[in-house]
Amino acid sequence: MKKLLTTLGLIIMLTGCSLFSSKAEAVTNIEGSVQSRCTVDTDTPGAYGNPNAYTLTTVPASAGQVPIVRFDVSLADAYFAQVSYPTSFSSSPSLSDSVTWTGAVTVAQTSVSGMSGYQAASTSTGAMRQYALTHAGTTWFSATSVATYGGGQNKAFPGGTYTAVVVAECVAQ
Amino acid sequence: MCRSVILCLLLCSNVVAHEMTPTYPKWEVSYIEGVQKTTMKMFNKRKDASWYEIGIFDQEWKPISFATKNKILKIDYLGHAKFDVYINAGDVKRTEYICSTSKLRKGDSNKPMVASKICSRFK
Repeated sequence: MKKLLTTLGLIIMLTGCSLFSSKAEAVTNIEGSVQSRCTVDTDTPGAYGNPNAYTLTTVPASAGQVPIVRFDVSLADAYFAQVSYPTSFSSSPSLSDSVTWTGAVTVAQTSVSGMSGYQAASTSTGAMRQYALTHAGTTWFSATSVATYGGGQNKAFPGGTYTAVVVAECVAQ
Repeated sequence: MCRSVILCLLLCSNVVAHEMTPTYPKWEVSYIEGVQKTTMKMFNKRKDASWYEIGIFDQEWKPISFATKNKILKIDYLGHAKFDVYINAGDVKRTEYICSTSKLRKGDSNKPMVASKICSRFK
């Protein structure tokens, strides 16, 4: 009887020990993928200054702000960057006369020295300028915009809020 | 004559971004006969834009008809979206680009000055 009780006691102790020593485990996976991708960011917001009654401009000297768009690509030779300066207002007061649009898109900054040739190698079609992103990394593009009212007659813009849109496209090659 | 023009601050100061993958999607057989599908993923890091329009185009940027659950997607800031796009199998060879374009809302008080567009290419 004593032996039986001792044996049972040992079994219970061992079982208890094994219960206490076992850990509750759950596996939570974190998955990710590394692949070719392009991200378009607005680095600097744009704003129009109003140096005179008939001009809206993003030039800083006229209290404007040039919008800067940032493109990040993870793989070379996978994307074109296409940036267009505005050729119309997306919202404005009612305008009875025509608006003359001018602008320019340029490379503002690069993260890799090899990108320094982007501007020279770029092509333009109307308001759009296309860049072949031949290096992985980050490129910043600025897009200036000037709107003049009155079809050459320099008429005053009607009072109100004016918004125009820079289009930043990242198109796979 | 009112000479004053209220200047428009066109964007919030936050860094904003828009991303779509894969860069080179492939068409695959769908559960509907004669219809092919592809799956795309989007990530919205733009605080100022939460609506994106999907479009499919041929080599000359002419639109090609397609079906998806929502052609204009609402993706909240830092939100992800995964969506299937369906197309007539006869149009597969014509497809060249699938694009997502940020949409501006007329009523937004803080109208963004930058519209972003990302296009993946069928090869």
